[in-house]
Amino acid sequence: MSDLKITDLHKHYGNFHAVKGVSLDVQAGEFTVLVGPSGCGKSTLLRCIAGLEETSSGRIEIGGKDVTHARPRDRDIAMVFQNYALYPYLNVKDNIAFGLRARKFAETEIEKRVKRASDMLGIGHLLTRFPRELSGGQRQRVAIGRAIVRDAILYLFDEPLSNLDAQLRDDMRVEIKRLHQELGRTMIYVTHDQIEAMTLADRIVLLRDGVVEQQGSPLDLFERPQTRFVAGFLGSPKMNFLKGTLTRTGVSLADGRELVLPGRESLRSGQAVLLGVRPQHIALAGKTVAKGHERIPVTIELVQPTGSRVQVTLPLGGTSVIAELGAHEVSRPGEKTFIDLDMTRAIVIDAVTEKVL
Amino acid sequence: MSALPFHRRAGVRLSLRYLIAALLVIIFCFPVYWLFIISFKTPDEIFAYPPVWYPASIQFANYAVLFKDGDAATVGNSLVLASISTFFAMIFGTVAAYSLVRFKTGGENLAVWIISQRMMPPVAIVFPIFLLYIWIGWVDSYFGLIILYTAFSLPYVIWMMRGYIEDIPLELEESALVDGCSRWETLWKVVLPMARSGLFATAVFTFIFAWNDFLFALVLTRTEVTTYTVQVTHYFGGQSNFWAKIAAMSVLGTIPVFFTVAVMQRFLVRGISMGAVKG
Amino acid sequence: MTAAVHPDRNFKYWLLAPAIFLLLLIGLFPLIYSLVVSFMRIDMMDTDTSFAWFYNYKQLFKDGRLWWSLAHTLLITAIALPVELLLGLAMAYLFLEKMPWRQIFISLLVLPTIISPIVAGATWRLLFDNKYGPINQIISWVAGERIDALWTIKPNLVYPAIIFCEIWQWTPFMFLILLAALSNVDKSQTEAAEIDGARFLRIFRYIALPAIWPVMAIAILIRGLDLFRIFDIIWALTQGGPGTRTETISIYAYTQGFKQFETSYTAAIAFLVVFILTVICTWAIRRMGLAK
Repeated sequence: MSDLKITDLHKHYGNFHAVKGVSLDVQAGEFTVLVGPSGCGKSTLLRCIAGLEETSSGRIEIGGKDVTHARPRDRDIAMVFQNYALYPYLNVKDNIAFGLRARKFAETEIEKRVKRASDMLGIGHLLTRFPRELSGGQRQRVAIGRAIVRDAILYLFDEPLSNLDAQLRDDMRVEIKRLHQELGRTMIYVTHDQIEAMTLADRIVLLRDGVVEQQGSPLDLFERPQTRFVAGFLGSPKMNFLKGTLTRTGVSLADGRELVLPGRESLRSGQAVLLGVRPQHIALAGKTVAKGHERIPVTIELVQPTGSRVQVTLPLGGTSVIAELGAHEVSRPGEKTFIDLDMTRAIVIDAVTEKVL
Repeated sequence: MSALPFHRRAGVRLSLRYLIAALLVIIFCFPVYWLFIISFKTPDEIFAYPPVWYPASIQFANYAVLFKDGDAATVGNSLVLASISTFFAMIFGTVAAYSLVRFKTGGENLAVWIISQRMMPPVAIVFPIFLLYIWIGWVDSYFGLIILYTAFSLPYVIWMMRGYIEDIPLELEESALVDGCSRWETLWKVVLPMARSGLFATAVFTFIFAWNDFLFALVLTRTEVTTYTVQVTHYFGGQSNFWAKIAAMSVLGTIPVFFTVAVMQRFLVRGISMGAVKG
Repeated sequence: MTAAVHPDRNFKYWLLAPAIFLLLLIGLFPLIYSLVVSFMRIDMMDTDTSFAWFYNYKQLFKDGRLWWSLAHTLLITAIALPVELLLGLAMAYLFLEKMPWRQIFISLLVLPTIISPIVAGATWRLLFDNKYGPINQIISWVAGERIDALWTIKPNLVYPAIIFCEIWQWTPFMFLILLAALSNVDKSQTEAAEIDGARFLRIFRYIALPAIWPVMAIAILIRGLDLFRIFDIIWALTQGGPGTRTETISIYAYTQGFKQFETSYTAAIAFLVVFILTVICTWAIRRMGLAK
């Protein structure tokens, strides 16, 4: 059964077309992440689902019921906001109980549920505090508590972690993932952070300019991107794109170097393409070259250690590419060495349509 | 300049500031002092030459007269009129301001029109209102003045509350809507509590405006709902004023305002400046 | 696809309805009524409602008393407004820096503004009393001889009396607004200017004034409008007298309406006042750059 079904949804703000015909089908229990750069329409889409924005056209069904024109409170949803949206004049307990009271739950039931939710989030000792007395992470927990205390069909998260510092963000991400596993509820999560998307999602919906660019499981999108945009958006550091032309056996780069593409004989020779190579698929060359790999001499330009790994910038095919190597494999800029390019995992993109071939 | 330490000069400067400040306070507060002191004087002290700068003893005879004659009831009238009209102006003004802010109802033009009503000179509207009230029989009634004060306060309330409501994060309201509140409940349970301090401050000044009004009360009251401001002017005479009554009545009418403002200290600036300054 | 009606669509209009109704009743009705009546010739004797069109407006131009009342109003405004502004500004600077008891001083200084104007007028009536009032007494001390000035009666003394009272009551208003505005001026800017060697006047002219101007302009506008319709203080002090010496436009309109019962003529005056105020406001808002 699908908990959320969106059909050809459009949203206009005056002349601005924010969402352009999005269709979506979310299964019960699924964790769906709407991701994309800012201004791609992901938040607008979420607000349409919540009923906080009226849709211009299209249809939204939640739990099999048409709610396109229903009030937010009639949609059976719960939502966590970016700025937590805690009521400053209510203490933590009353904040969490707010939605239950609005729906006229019995006080004993409220008591029970608030306790369960606060225990689950580890904020049981904070119930009598007021929001201004809480740290950012605690506020975020309360905001989540206010959502999970309800029995909603759909749980919506609007960039809930973007106001937290990096350390806290990692902790809360784990927390949310754990919550989803424990509760097994249907969740829709908006973020611009591709790491959040990759780690949390059962399914990623990648939006761009109000259109779904690609959707699927995180690994699916990561390993089989359909467009240059998807390939470039997911993964850190970003995928390298090298300009080139297809030849009979592979691709000829801008500086004339030819690389062999194994198993791509169907490609049309002479076509202008971009060769996409992830930094993780570039390594220091060993004594031998495996089948489908290329061994290339390079001079290191820049070294950025990240601790466990090191990101190395080096010139290749007329541009600079980034390779992610082991922490102690390279020492300093100017070093001359050989790299090993895993061509079996490289992707070829049509330079004009930007579609993956 | 001399090599005198810097702080020495700063000390002189501060003393000078205190001196001027003290002088200003004396000048600006002396009239208030005089008003209060006359109300406690005996007739002999009031009509003494040269004037008596402080009474020999504090006595309340002047007030006793006002209460015995029933004149003090006019303060009660002012209280009824000002508080009820403040109550309604706050309700109608706040929800209207909410509509203007949250839904941009009527666009900028409607907001400007409402605020321009505050520029309306009372003397230009009091005459037609007087004729209208005669026609429908509202002269000298609580009802008539309450409606008038309420309407006249609305532009101020709307202007002030607009500022306060704009400061409320939209997400709080959206969160309430999602959590199961209707629009009314959201207004009641989220917007009003959030705007609490603004409501307070605005109410105080709305109250003071109505409380201090003279022209409307002069024209639209006769005997039943005379306010204290009108009552004060009843004691004016060509050559012989009822000094003691003027002073005592004025003090009776002034104390509630002083009291309210003392309680509302921290809202003073923003209220007085009509939201021109974000305090 | 047809746009179904959102269930909360009319909510925003319901919220506005009571306020708009009252504002129409009190704001718009009198205006329209005045306009219509001002084209007739209704007075105490004559309740004929036939139209005389611009008869009353022509009368306005011949009415010397009206123009004098306008002149009186402008005279008071022209003196009181600048004094209130400058005095208020000076006081604001005095209290701008922190000092112990600052808040108490400010609270005491603000007292005159929250008093009812009618009480303010009554208070100054007491102060100005020729025989038992303290003002003449103080002047007598300074002069060394007994002074018996009839402040609210003598033609050449009534304006000082009114203007003193007006300034006393409303300077604190200016003071409070300007103090708030000055406190909001970015301190790093004035400090930078001081380090650059700028003196007080220069800093005020080029840093403080531009920063506080929007607020100051609104304060001037509000006070200007209030002064233009000044009624209560004059009513308490002189009632427009002696004779018509201190009759302002509001006092004159009141007299015409409620003492002479010149219904149509009063309506015409009311309309003239609204017209003048609208012109001044529009001009001031444009000129002061308040229009956003």
